[in-house]
Amino acid sequence: MVFGGFINWLRNLFGSKRNISLGIYGCTNVGKTTLANKIALDFTGETVGKASPIPHETRFVQKKEKVDIKNDGKKLSINILDMPGLETKIDYRKFLKYGMSRATAKERAKEATQGVVEAIKWLSNVDTVLAVMDSTRDPLTQVNITLLGNLEARKIPVILVANKTDLKNSRPNQIKEAFPQYPFVSVSALKGENMDQLYDAIIKHARKSK
Amino acid sequence: MRLKLDFISSDNLDGKSEDKKINFILKKVRDGSILVMDGVMKPEEEMNLIKETMRRVDNGFPGIEICSLKKELKGMKLFFDRVSERRERLWSWLTNAPTETSLKGGITLIGPAKIIKKIKKNPDSFSVITEV
Repeated sequence: MVFGGFINWLRNLFGSKRNISLGIYGCTNVGKTTLANKIALDFTGETVGKASPIPHETRFVQKKEKVDIKNDGKKLSINILDMPGLETKIDYRKFLKYGMSRATAKERAKEATQGVVEAIKWLSNVDTVLAVMDSTRDPLTQVNITLLGNLEARKIPVILVANKTDLKNSRPNQIKEAFPQYPFVSVSALKGENMDQLYDAIIKHARKSK
Repeated sequence: MRLKLDFISSDNLDGKSEDKKINFILKKVRDGSILVMDGVMKPEEEMNLIKETMRRVDNGFPGIEICSLKKELKGMKLFFDRVSERRERLWSWLTNAPTETSLKGGITLIGPAKIIKKIKKNPDSFSVITEV
């Protein structure tokens, strides 16, 4: 429909949504759910989901709505959206190593593929994104590059979060150097280190909802 | 064991709709080929490629490995590239229609995850480890 986009823009401009949808994106096992839980625990006393060392523990979008983030006298109301990990491949055989039966592993792999599709679809509905990366791993993966390119194309504000800084081989600076154009915070969601800086960055960079 | 590499020129994919491009790529990769393409996909196209890959994952096809190097444009080429991109986006925004796109300068490698075990990427190069 001609001018459909313009009409949507006008509709969004005069919309009355109040909370900012904060999408937590990244590859599998970078600590997205641990981070979502830490944010939710700090401000609501409740968690968002179960974190696990087994890949694809989060296979559906997990939400915690109306979380009021406060830091340094400033406040922001957000909906936390903890996304399934993004991957270009999911092999059910990987889950067999964790003691799962073949049938369970296949089912988990199937759900995981659906989770990735769901996470990608949600890119149209998030206002701001925390792009979480494991600071012990190489950040220059195609998934990270594609994710950041998409957010840029959609003009969605993004904050890079280098997680797992409590680990000995953590090198958060390599993330900063790989993607110098984005706001950057390094944290340990597990230990709760540097979370104030993250809250400050969210309040500063989050876009008012569409 | 054999390893099949398909080198695809940008002419082969230019002008194809996004769906056709993704179908073409996934058919080749599912058949076991590693594609080396002249050009890079747009981030939106690449995300849709990942989405479509996930829909097609099964016990025999665990997915893909992908890596690209974008040619950094400078001077007037960068200026005209940006003008062209903005024109496409404005049209897409006004009409809600998907854009028919051409590949941008660079190189892309896409292959079956069953064969490609690791891709090590640097800012201006990448190496691929396969197991056949």
